[in-house]
Amino acid sequence: MQVTDDLGRTIEVPQPVRRIVSLAPNLTETVFALEAGDRVVGDTSADDFPAAAKSLPHVGDVLAPSLEEIVALHPDLVLATNDLNRRATVEALARMGFAVYVTHPQSIDDVLNSTAQIARLIGAGPRGDAVIAGMRERLDALAKRLSGVPPRRVLFVVWTEPLMSVGKHTFLADALSRAGAQSVVDIADGWPQVSFEYVLKLQPEYLVFAGSLRDANAPPEEQLSKLPGWRDLDAVRDGKIAVVSSAIDRPTPRMVDAIEELARLLHPEVFAPGAAAGGGAALIAPETSTEACLACAR
Amino acid sequence: MRPLTLRRVLWTCALLAGVLFAVCVAALKLGAVPISVSDLIVSLARVAIGRSDQLPLDYRLIVFDLRLPRIVLGALVGAALSVAGAGYQALLRNPLADPYVLGVSSGSALGAVLALQFAPQIAFATPLGAFVGAILTITGVYYLGRREGQLDSTTLLLAGIISASFLSAIIMFLMTTLASRDLRGMAFWLMGDLSTPLAPNLRWFFLVALVVGIGAIYTTSADLNLLVTGEREAMHLGVDVTRVKLVVYVAASGLTALAVSASGAIGYVGLLVPHAMRFLFGSDYRLLIPASALGGAIAVVLADTLARTIIAPTELPVGAMTAIAGAPLFIFLLRRSMR
Repeated sequence: MQVTDDLGRTIEVPQPVRRIVSLAPNLTETVFALEAGDRVVGDTSADDFPAAAKSLPHVGDVLAPSLEEIVALHPDLVLATNDLNRRATVEALARMGFAVYVTHPQSIDDVLNSTAQIARLIGAGPRGDAVIAGMRERLDALAKRLSGVPPRRVLFVVWTEPLMSVGKHTFLADALSRAGAQSVVDIADGWPQVSFEYVLKLQPEYLVFAGSLRDANAPPEEQLSKLPGWRDLDAVRDGKIAVVSSAIDRPTPRMVDAIEELARLLHPEVFAPGAAAGGGAALIAPETSTEACLACAR
Repeated sequence: MRPLTLRRVLWTCALLAGVLFAVCVAALKLGAVPISVSDLIVSLARVAIGRSDQLPLDYRLIVFDLRLPRIVLGALVGAALSVAGAGYQALLRNPLADPYVLGVSSGSALGAVLALQFAPQIAFATPLGAFVGAILTITGVYYLGRREGQLDSTTLLLAGIISASFLSAIIMFLMTTLASRDLRGMAFWLMGDLSTPLAPNLRWFFLVALVVGIGAIYTTSADLNLLVTGEREAMHLGVDVTRVKLVVYVAASGLTALAVSASGAIGYVGLLVPHAMRFLFGSDYRLLIPASALGGAIAVVLADTLARTIIAPTELPVGAMTAIAGAPLFIFLLRRSMR
């Protein structure tokens, strides 16, 4: 089957795809969500969801995997992503004749498209259609619910030291806007490192963290009120800190859960009891999540 | 020290070539995927008699498409950097000179990065950009390293080290601001890494340029022996100092540029290897140049094999390995030269 990936490369994928090597946590997760997890024969040491991904043979980390290990696994299809993997890895594998499909999601629509494309490549059939239809449906329902609600001005904190946030043309910026939020940082593409003064001047309404702060067990307000600079933010003084599931920074089907969760945290009034859909507040997921994004920003 | 005879040069080179061969065979065997010695011998034999089609696909890809090109590249890069280091050491009369310490590697890397940015379609633009960067850097460092018209050893080293950090900062600046950035590539240019194979259309160019560069420095080796005692003394002994300096500067910078355009800025090889060779075989440049070429090849193949295997399947950049070995030696030599 011939397809064009997100980088515009045309690749020929032999059918059927029986053996998949995934070079990024979000892609492994996507294949598992498409119920083809049993066909993943190798992934990276960063892959932690679902739990089965942890026990698969690892081919190294996302930045410097062993090409030898990948070759030895005889993959029919290798999945890679532009934000985490190196272009050199992709090119070396392609030169040896492997089909490498590279995703580069810059919006939620891109996430939906690459998920649909992967589903088609691996022949996920009705399950693939159902997953994508489900994502679209829930996103549409959320959009309807939030229509007319003014977005919250938020600072999405990818990393605290140095302060790293989310820039334009990223799936995460789009995820924020679909959750009824607007990133105060709109100076650059990608994952900019921003000065704290800039943040103090902008005074975001909410701070959004993915997964957890440095110490998953202590309340976030308490941790931040001890940090110089941070304690001067109105959002910290007012306790307007949203800690959302780490799934928010992974372009996968599970990301929709995180978008809904963030929408509830930022707009509790819209989801108050009595309003239509259930408004269960999301819990803090005690897991580290930002390594992946830190790696891509470095 | 015994007088240098052709016989001794040949025997020493044969010995080093033997060690290089053994190291390459070990490097072919070792890796993230285990391959037994007998399988390796069978594979090599089948390829030697033109029956590579009988090999399992895995072996063909792992041994001949991944390990072998990488080992060859490592050997060539090691030879280039070591000979460049030996050349700079003679010319600058400074035992601590090395393409990395002098900032030439960083200058090459910056030139290569700029070439990649502005002419990504032209394969030859990268080594050419690296060469221009290398020449400009060594010229700048040479003039910055002078005091009252004389080359001053400490000033030169400081000028080199400061230039290296300045040029690395520019690379970082470019990498973070350019729109089409490949951030993962940044570590490659700053640290040195052999995981990216050489583009096939550059292989022959690389080999020929390397032989020409090493050969050019070798032709000056008798003059370099005299030059290390001082430029004026060498001139009195009939050495065409201007010509020798020009040849060695251009050739050493060209060799550095080749190495950097293929593998990023791998540090300290040009320092480590010529010193080890001097310690083992004496400081006659007629032996030191070929011995450094072979020794550099051995050192980098060895360092890269370690980089590939110690935390396999994840790989370390080879520059981290050479810096771990090279930086302490630099300190040791610096302290000794100050005494």
